[in-house]
Order: sequence, then C-alpha cells, then structure tokens
Amino acid sequence: MAYPAELPLLEVENLSTGFFTEEGVVPAVDGVSFSLMRGRTLALVGESGSGKSVTAYSILRLIQPPGRITGGKILFRSARAGEIDLAALGETSEALYKVRGGLISMIFQEPMTALSPVHSVGSQIAEAILLHRKVDQAEARRLTVEMLGQVGIAQAEMCFDQYPHELSGGMRQRVVIAMALVCRPELLIADEPTTALDVTIQAQILGLIKTLQRGLGCSVLLITHDFGVVAQVADDVAVMHHGKIVEHGTVRAVLKNPQHAYTRALLEALPSRRVRVA
Amino acid sequence: MAHNPSPVPSPLLSVRGLSKHFPVMSRGFRPKVTGVTKAVDDVSFDLAPGETLGLVGESGSGKTTTARCILRAIEPTAGQVIFRLPDGRTVDLASLSDRALKPLRQHAQMVFQDPFSSLNPRMTVGDIVGEPLVIHRLARGPELAERVAETLRRVGLKPEHRVRYPHAFSGGQRQRIGIARALIMRPSLIVCDEATSALDVTIQAQVLDLLKELQAEFRLTYLFVAHNLDVVRNFCDRVAVMRRGKIVELAPTARIFAAPEHPYTKLLLSAIPSSDPDVPMNFGVAEELAKLDR
Repeated sequence: MAYPAELPLLEVENLSTGFFTEEGVVPAVDGVSFSLMRGRTLALVGESGSGKSVTAYSILRLIQPPGRITGGKILFRSARAGEIDLAALGETSEALYKVRGGLISMIFQEPMTALSPVHSVGSQIAEAILLHRKVDQAEARRLTVEMLGQVGIAQAEMCFDQYPHELSGGMRQRVVIAMALVCRPELLIADEPTTALDVTIQAQILGLIKTLQRGLGCSVLLITHDFGVVAQVADDVAVMHHGKIVEHGTVRAVLKNPQHAYTRALLEALPSRRVRVA
Repeated sequence: MAHNPSPVPSPLLSVRGLSKHFPVMSRGFRPKVTGVTKAVDDVSFDLAPGETLGLVGESGSGKTTTARCILRAIEPTAGQVIFRLPDGRTVDLASLSDRALKPLRQHAQMVFQDPFSSLNPRMTVGDIVGEPLVIHRLARGPELAERVAETLRRVGLKPEHRVRYPHAFSGGQRQRIGIARALIMRPSLIVCDEATSALDVTIQAQVLDLLKELQAEFRLTYLFVAHNLDVVRNFCDRVAVMRRGKIVELAPTARIFAAPEHPYTKLLLSAIPSSDPDVPMNFGVAEELAKLDR
C-alpha cells in the first residue's frame, strides 16, 4: 500500500503522557503535535526533563507505569501495514509486536545496556530477524553478517560470535544500529545515539546513520540535547521545553533565526556561541 | 612530536616527566606480566598562578589518570610534580610520603564529574561540605558551621540547605555542592575532572560562570580536564591535547582553535559538530585517524 507523498509517515497529534505519582500527575508530555515526512530526519531537542525521551518512548508504547499516555493520537502510515494509531493499540496486541523492531525500531543512548551481556552479538541481531521475518537460522545468520558489514564492522563473520564486552563503545553502537536496521524499519528512533561516545566516534556513527538512512530510505526521529548534532544531521527540528514543543521548523530556519525566547536562550548557552568573559 | 612545556616564571605547578604504567597480565591460572600500558607517558607542563589549563583528549587518552597522579589519588610510576605552597616553599608531590602529603592536600582539591556518585547520599550537605575541615582539624563547632554556611552562600546555595540530603538537589546544584567542598579548604589549585560534562547546556553555562567568578575572587588555578573541546574554548587560557598518554600539543586556547599544529588536534577539531548548519563536520574522521597511525 503506497501513500501519497504529501501525507507524513508519522503524525503525532496532541499527545499527552503523564506520570501518576502520589503527589499528583506529572505531565511529562503535554499536548505535543508534530509530523515526520518519509525519508526525512526530525530532531527533537531539549534539556533533560523536557519530555523528548518520553515522547519517543510513547511512540513505541514503552512507557511503564506509573506513566501512561493520557490523550492524543500517534498516526503511523506504514507502506507495509497501512495506517495505525499507535496510541490506541492494546498493550499486548499482535500489531504492536509487529511495529516494535519491525516497522519502527529504536537505538538507545547506552549501547552496553541495550545489549545482552550473555548472548553473542550475532544471536541478538538474528533474534530480531527470526521474530519478524519467515527465514531459517542459516538465512538469519547470513543476513546478520551482511548487516554487520553494512554498519562498517570489518570482520563481520568473527563479530557474530563475539560478546558485547569484547567490543569498544563505538563498535557496540554499530551493533545496536545493525540490530535496529536489520528488519528494514520505516522509522528509526535514535535516543541520544552518540551522547556516550567520543567526538571522533560520534562523527563516524552520525555519518553511518546518515548513509544508511539514505540507502534504506527510512525516516529518523533523532532525540538529542546537542544543537551541533541537530545542525549536522537533521532536516527539521522541534524544540521541547516542559513537555511542550515551543518551536518547530527546518533546521536552518530555527538555528539561524530562532523565534522563541527559550530556543534563543538554549543557543546562547552553547559554549561555542558564548562570548568569553575576560 | 615533542611539545614545549612552555615554562612560566614561578609556576604554581610544574609537572615533569610524569608517567603512569599499568602492567598487562596474561590470562590463566598464574597470570604473568606480559607488557605495560602507558596510560600517562612522559607528560610535562607548567601551570601559572591564576591560570586555567585545559587537558583534553578522548576516553583512554590518559587525561584523568594524569590529573589523579598529580593529586596522588593514584601513585605515578615516574616523574616530578613540583607544587608551590602558599608560603613560597616548593615540594615534589610525587615523592612525598603519605604522612608528609596529608597536610598539603588542603591546597589542591578536586571536583568530580558525576554529581550523583561523588556525594555520599547518607550525609547531609552540611556534613559533606564541612567534612574536609573536620578531617584536617581546621575548624569545629560554631566556626565550622559558619564556614559551611558562608561557602554554601558563595556557590549560590542557601545556608539552610545544609540540613538536606544530596537527593533533594538537581545536577547543577549537586555540582555546586562539590565545588563548595573543594572551595572550603581555600585551595590554590582545583582539578576539575569533567566537572560540567554531565550537565545540560544552560546549567553548564551557569556552573562555568560560577567557576570563573570564584577564580577571580580567590585567585584559583584550575586544571580543567574535559573531553568536550567546545567547553574548553571559552573557559581555558591554554589547552593541552592528549593522545595515548602523551601531550601532543600545548598552546594558548585561541591558537589551538585558530591554527592547530598537530594533525591529531586538527582531526579532533574537525569532528566537532558545529551548531551552524553551514559549517560542515568531518564524517570521515575514522579513515584520517587510521592514516595518522600509519
């Protein structure tokens, strides 16, 4: 099923997610709306506590109690599975299992916690293939090794049988990316994918995400606090503050000519833009 | 490439040939030493009084190990750490016995990266900030309480915060507590080990401003360990770039950023994502790094 190009792949409408504590409801995401076009990269940027990660987790329905989506729609227009309102799916519905890891996948900040320490790298990636595609073990292994090669791991065959602790931080993040992309998702959610990495490794991983995105034609929702990463990788940007989107536009428009006072304050706080006080 | 340790007249701190080697053990039932990892390898530099020197590098470059060797948090393998005391005498911190070192520790303090793990959750803020004075028997009773209150006020906290526990504070406030704990000793040198790395940009800016103010007021000298070159840019007078245990380049901050000399420094700078979409970053830094080693 193909959708006309002008309909967005992901359309979030008035999404609210709250955490129900003893002291009352904390509205972590408070009426957020945005859309992501096919093949584009949208950055959700904000400080810690702004609700950017909760928004991302809400899309994949990964919010744990006492948190819960309290309102809004998350329309996902899959070319393979049709239009789905993710916010309305049942917690244990078949459709949600298909979406997670199959149609939408996620890269987490800390690759060491995203990977199981007691399973080999290859078996963790192959597991995703076996869950979402009708292939046998041998074919899953072949696809895994091919994917490891695509994320720039030179000795992919050897890497298949290694364990996460044998790999460096940059290599682990490549494995996580391979795992996320092996089922050819239509949307990739990357939650601070390079925050834990050195600048040189960050440059490689960001370059890799850009290249693979172009090659596979998926859309990316990039969660970050770093305006540098936004400027270099994203097409569009939404700035979040206290659970709301305060500014939304193309990267060039928002970074070159910020309209909202909060966006301006954030940009002025960047060390590279601060004037040295003598 | 040998770098110039750029000697300054009457430095506060003078590091010469500092090295820290860790043995590499073989696997198995009876491990044997099969080699050494040179975490810090013949590092030399000077720190002028009132100066801020940035020590930057990637993880594993040896910047934190260097900082810890200077304060003798770990024992250096070789080298000298000549430190000028407030009375004008100079001592070699690297060769002193633990007993001789203890009374000198008040002059050189450290602020740590993680404001969550560096504060004891079972101690009140007042006890945390006052503890160094108690350990060194420099104050007690009402005087101790007064100095704790004054120091808390100076770092932007309230004296009544002293009865609270660290969990009641945000990351930026916790880092202020860590700074207060260092400041209360009236040190001449503060080593900041990634002191602002865990903070949001707006909070980071506030903490950096505080450190600047305190430096002017108390004539502090900072050794500022960071992996973020952007932070160093507006905060440090000079920058030392470390790679694989060695300082590859040491120069005034403006020169490091405008005209870096060492190819590694150039690569490191090219990999920083600029917040200006018209300044492209270097995605191919991996290949160029590999070329550097060939």
